[in-house]
Amino acid sequence: MQFHAFSLLQRLALTAVLGLACAFGAHAAPDPNGAPDVFVQQTADAALQVIKNDDRVKRGDLNRVNQVVDQYILPYVDFEKTTRLAAGPHWRQATQAQRQALSQAFRGTLIRTYSGALTGVDNSTRIQTLPLRGNAAQADDLVVRTTVSQSNGQPIAVDYRLEKTPAGWKIYDLNVEGIWLIQNYRNQFSQEINQNGIDGLIRALNQRNAS
Amino acid sequence: MKTTPYHRIAAISAASFVLAGCAVQNPDPQDPLQGFNRAVFTFNDKVDRAVLRPVAEGYTYITPAPVRSCISNVFSNVGDVWSAANSFMQARGHDFFNSLGRFLFNTTLGVGGCFDVATANGAPRIRNDFGTTLGVWGFGQGPYLVLPFWGSSTVRDTFGLAGDFTANQYTSVGAIENVPVRNSLYGLEIVQRRANLLDASKTVDRIALDPYSFVRDAYLQRRAAMVLGHNADDESNLPNYGSGDDADSPPQYIDPEAPVGLPN
Repeated sequence: MQFHAFSLLQRLALTAVLGLACAFGAHAAPDPNGAPDVFVQQTADAALQVIKNDDRVKRGDLNRVNQVVDQYILPYVDFEKTTRLAAGPHWRQATQAQRQALSQAFRGTLIRTYSGALTGVDNSTRIQTLPLRGNAAQADDLVVRTTVSQSNGQPIAVDYRLEKTPAGWKIYDLNVEGIWLIQNYRNQFSQEINQNGIDGLIRALNQRNAS
Repeated sequence: MKTTPYHRIAAISAASFVLAGCAVQNPDPQDPLQGFNRAVFTFNDKVDRAVLRPVAEGYTYITPAPVRSCISNVFSNVGDVWSAANSFMQARGHDFFNSLGRFLFNTTLGVGGCFDVATANGAPRIRNDFGTTLGVWGFGQGPYLVLPFWGSSTVRDTFGLAGDFTANQYTSVGAIENVPVRNSLYGLEIVQRRANLLDASKTVDRIALDPYSFVRDAYLQRRAAMVLGHNADDESNLPNYGSGDDADSPPQYIDPEAPVGLPN
């Protein structure tokens, strides 16, 4: 029989690989080309897994939060689009260098937001994706709704807005309890740009990040 | 006409409303009273930093977490009655029965509301109030308004607040006839509410470019979402950032000659 061709060593190796696959199954690499709700759940689970096992993140250590965000969240986020929509019509006046600096500065601000929120994560924190609505399967711009539940306190509704790109789904906006992130920064951005220009806005963001 | 203190206050507030109109060159359509609002916001912030926040921090420091959670839950539980009534007035049957069921369940099994057993069993709290009811009935938000000592509101939500306060006389702490007990409970409720918001206000301090705009925009968005209820994330209610802002696609101009009522 063909089966005997497998040596004991090979079988052991196979078992080990399968076992590893199972162990990693809980936080498989998110697949941006799959169904959007599954993709969000995978991304959230992978990030949550890391955060739960990392004391430095839980203490709000900014450097470590930065690393985790870079590695587990940013690959699935179209952050330039987030910044672009927050900047609104002003974006068209910005040079390439300003655009990059602005995205970078805004990212710093958001990481500060997260580092605060992440200190609240404990072992009972769960993220649950709710079923997609309507004919979302055909849409290329849609919302995935999730609920974050914790041992103490009320569950929090967090929604993600995704867009289909050639590289698969990308998250570009976030809603916490009815408040959209981009929407909440548009007025502040435009205020600051009107007063001090795009460079003024970049400076203001960086100043907050440094303090 | 005799000048009573009320007349003077009315005159001062009328004057500040008029002044507020001049102070801002570029008014936000949702916030025409920005000058006045910013002044009240600054005042509230000072009061908060000088009195309310330190008291809430002290309270958090000396009170063990389970006690705080119990106190917070008891107030929320009593509040669920009025939330349920509002859900009823908004014809949100599912929310009405949910809030009512929560109240009955938490009052009995949750030992007078001390433990939120309903949330633990998959029936989270559904906040509701009279301002939202007015919104569901079709009243627009009206201009944004920052109320002294209270904070963010709108013209509609100020009427809503008056409704909530009246209802409070029958369904909540206001129904207690013993004045010292009632006032102590009011005080405790305020401190507890502020304590619940300590993390949120720290976050705003940390991430807002302009705390005033940040709080205003968050408030207006949140209230709009509450009025929409479960329809809040239907495709048609998503924020439209306009493809004109999108570098990938050509700007979209609004045709001034397009028939009225049809979006471009």
